[in-house]
Amino acid sequence: MTKVLLKDIRKNFGTVEVIRGVDLEIEDGEFVVFVGPSGCGKSTLLRLISGLEHISDGELHIGGRLVNEVPAARRGVAMVFQSYALYPHLTVRDNMGFGLKVRKVPASERARRVSEAAATLKLEPLLDRFPRQLSGGQRQRVAIGRAIVGNPDVFLFDEPLSNLDAELRVHMRSEIAALHQRLSTTMIYVTHDQIEAMTLADKIVVLRDGRIEQVGSPRDLYDSPRTIFVAQFIGSPKMNILPLADGQPIALGASVPATATSVGIRPEHLSLGQPSNSTLRGKVGLAEYTGAVTLLHVALDGGQTCLVIHNQGPAPETGAEVGLRAEPGHLHFFDKEGRAV
Amino acid sequence: MTARRTEILYRICWTVALLLLAVPFVFPFLWMISGGFKSTTEIFGTPTLIPRIWRFENFVEVFTYQPFARQYFNSLYIAATVTVLTLFIASLAGYALARIRFAGAGLLMLFLVMALMVPEEVTIIPNFFLIRAMGLIDTHWPLVLLPVFGPQGVVATFLMRQFFLALPKELEDAGKMDGLSRFGVWLKIALPMSRPALAAVAIITFLHSWNLFLEPLIFLSSLEKFTLPLALSNFNDSYGLPLWNLQLAATSLAVVPILIIYLIAQRQIIESFALSGVKG
Amino acid sequence: MAGKAFRDNAARAAGAPWLTLKTREMLEAWLFVSPTLIGFLIFFLGPLVAIFYYSTTEWNLLSQQATFVGLRNFHNVLLENPDFWHVVRNSVIFALGLVPLNMALALSLALALSRPFFGVVFFRTVFFAPVVTSAIAWAIVWKFMLQGEGGAVNQMLAWIGINGPNWLREPNWAMAAVIVTRVIKMVGLNMILYIAALQSIPRDYEEAATLEGASRWQVFRMITWPLLAPTTLVIMVLTTIGSFKVFDHIYQMTGGGPENGTLVLAFYIYQQGFKFFNVGYAAALALIMFVIVMALTLVQVMLRRRDME
Repeated sequence: MTKVLLKDIRKNFGTVEVIRGVDLEIEDGEFVVFVGPSGCGKSTLLRLISGLEHISDGELHIGGRLVNEVPAARRGVAMVFQSYALYPHLTVRDNMGFGLKVRKVPASERARRVSEAAATLKLEPLLDRFPRQLSGGQRQRVAIGRAIVGNPDVFLFDEPLSNLDAELRVHMRSEIAALHQRLSTTMIYVTHDQIEAMTLADKIVVLRDGRIEQVGSPRDLYDSPRTIFVAQFIGSPKMNILPLADGQPIALGASVPATATSVGIRPEHLSLGQPSNSTLRGKVGLAEYTGAVTLLHVALDGGQTCLVIHNQGPAPETGAEVGLRAEPGHLHFFDKEGRAV
Repeated sequence: MTARRTEILYRICWTVALLLLAVPFVFPFLWMISGGFKSTTEIFGTPTLIPRIWRFENFVEVFTYQPFARQYFNSLYIAATVTVLTLFIASLAGYALARIRFAGAGLLMLFLVMALMVPEEVTIIPNFFLIRAMGLIDTHWPLVLLPVFGPQGVVATFLMRQFFLALPKELEDAGKMDGLSRFGVWLKIALPMSRPALAAVAIITFLHSWNLFLEPLIFLSSLEKFTLPLALSNFNDSYGLPLWNLQLAATSLAVVPILIIYLIAQRQIIESFALSGVKG
Repeated sequence: MAGKAFRDNAARAAGAPWLTLKTREMLEAWLFVSPTLIGFLIFFLGPLVAIFYYSTTEWNLLSQQATFVGLRNFHNVLLENPDFWHVVRNSVIFALGLVPLNMALALSLALALSRPFFGVVFFRTVFFAPVVTSAIAWAIVWKFMLQGEGGAVNQMLAWIGINGPNWLREPNWAMAAVIVTRVIKMVGLNMILYIAALQSIPRDYEEAATLEGASRWQVFRMITWPLLAPTTLVIMVLTTIGSFKVFDHIYQMTGGGPENGTLVLAFYIYQQGFKFFNVGYAAALALIMFVIVMALTLVQVMLRRRDME
């Protein structure tokens, strides 16, 4: 049973408060992703859980134990770093076994666990190499192997894929997902990439300015974002947010809540129609053809730009007058504080 | 074509100028060795670079005139001790100053910078009385203590700090996650990765101690406790006039091994000095 | 507050260490710096404070007693004893001779040797060799070569028809000889500092300027020299301070002579303190030297700060 429980966690560096009261419950075996723009505090939060930074205030429980003052190595957590942090002067084998050696695990036991982990990650041929002789993907795998060897209760990942090229990133992403399925250990993963978050997470925690903006499953966040911030952060391309000015013919048949001041609609939920029988009209400003779909930048008559994903038939020319149709079930209304209504 | 010819001409001029300029840098070494092989009469006769008669006995008399072997050994073991102690103390302090946020670090840095700039000559008088009060006059202790804790030690501390600052921090985080204590991180991760910095510190510290003069001059009085520079300045006759051939022979014995090591490892040695100078 | 205390107790009950992680970290840091700190207090800060005390006393050699004399030592140094101003004059001449010569030579050598071409490593090795040599050894050999009769230098001068002086026996020539031989000894250090600085200047600047038709001299004057300014400042201050510290070189070559012609500050302190045992007087001198060095350092810090703005 390794639940991770954060109660009103705070962290300040000098007078700057970077984590401003985070409450969170992470279930045993859950894959939780912290996501948010740079500077939102997601990495700091992870380092607070790992024990690499001191918690200024609040309580952190791991597996039912209060660990605020427990040193990093005794919290039962393992971390995979962004730069992999492999010891350059040690071989892959010694890198993976280092933590066990420090903890005085007998050599035979150590060898067994290292080779087990190496087998899981297909690292056997690399065991006697030094980190500088490995490719980026291999280093990443060794870093994960080093975490596995310690048999931790919780895995922490700090943007582990951001140093890899696009193709490798997709590949390692699926490996991490497979690893979670196999081990079913609690994992906490930090990234700024919302696609990584969406594909990996059981539960996504969106952070902003040191506070939690919303917690939920990927589908929750996509379908019912609680704020404009979350709405625009999750999903790619970004959700269109249009003001609900008087007389703006955007309601599209849906009932508009009284306090709503803006409406959000995802580009994939807009489709093109005839200008004459549409409520939204505009001119195509830019058409980005990506193969599967075309992303249209439509300059609305009201002055805003609206993104539309067009995937049926040939796209209209630049400068063409188009009408937009939205599916009523996919409209999100927000009040003037940016909260969903 | 002409541009190329000008370029070649330009280079030739430079090379000739540099060769001429190199004379006062190289000639003293040659003259020193040659003088070490000359007899007293030849020393004061019309000088030649190659001795007319090679007098090898000079190199024997060097050892009988004063306990030169003992003095040589003194210099060696003192320099080695100073180097080892400096490496240990400077890398510890340099690590803390680079990596641990602690109250008072800023003030400590400020004081260390001051210690770096103030010459030994300023503090040598009180230090003399301090060493005397400790009963350590005419021992090698002050020659170890003063350099280790003096400006040279501060240079080493700053060099180590600079290097530690540039090491990736995540490696040390990984060490902590693996269960190392602070001391363990320093010993097992930071130090093994700092070999270039440790080598640079070792080189400049060893040479500094090897060439140290003011401290031996002030603290040492018995011949068998002398270090090399002090011994070299001591090859005089009863009137206080230098015994040139012996002095030059002894100087050759002191300088040539260092020069050979320098020629072998010149790149590393020059870089070490460049490092220590840049940070100052 | 009660909540926090409760948490601390709970943490302890859960087997956490007695000290908080933050306090532990602090203690560790002080433990790491403690050898340096203790040595610093005993052998630097203590003595530095002590010279203030020593400089206000007169030391009786026989009774080993110190008598408080107030500012009389400073009075003696600055007003009574003409030696001091003579020494200051010598030190200033030494610095004024050494610093420009050293820096000009160092920069020229660095400019010649910062680009890879045939012989660069050889020349760098040669010009740096005296730096690793002991100052005493260097001074011994030069003293030998600078003898009036039978000295190698005068012998060479004789070949080209010059009758060389007895270098180390005439005050002005002795000063010149000490300066030049010291420059040869130390110029390699500044040379490599300049080379390092030159090599860190991106070649693009020079290439762009050359494409725009600038001559070698213009490139140096308009691009290289301004970019070297911070290095030049550091080298200038370090070399100046170094020139005030020069001791072993003078000790071995001239012993401050002839006729006190090369008696400089560091040597004067040694002479007063350890030859004549004028401890109070020497302490006053040391304090003056401290002030000079601190002033030079401050100038550097201020210039550098202005530079950054």
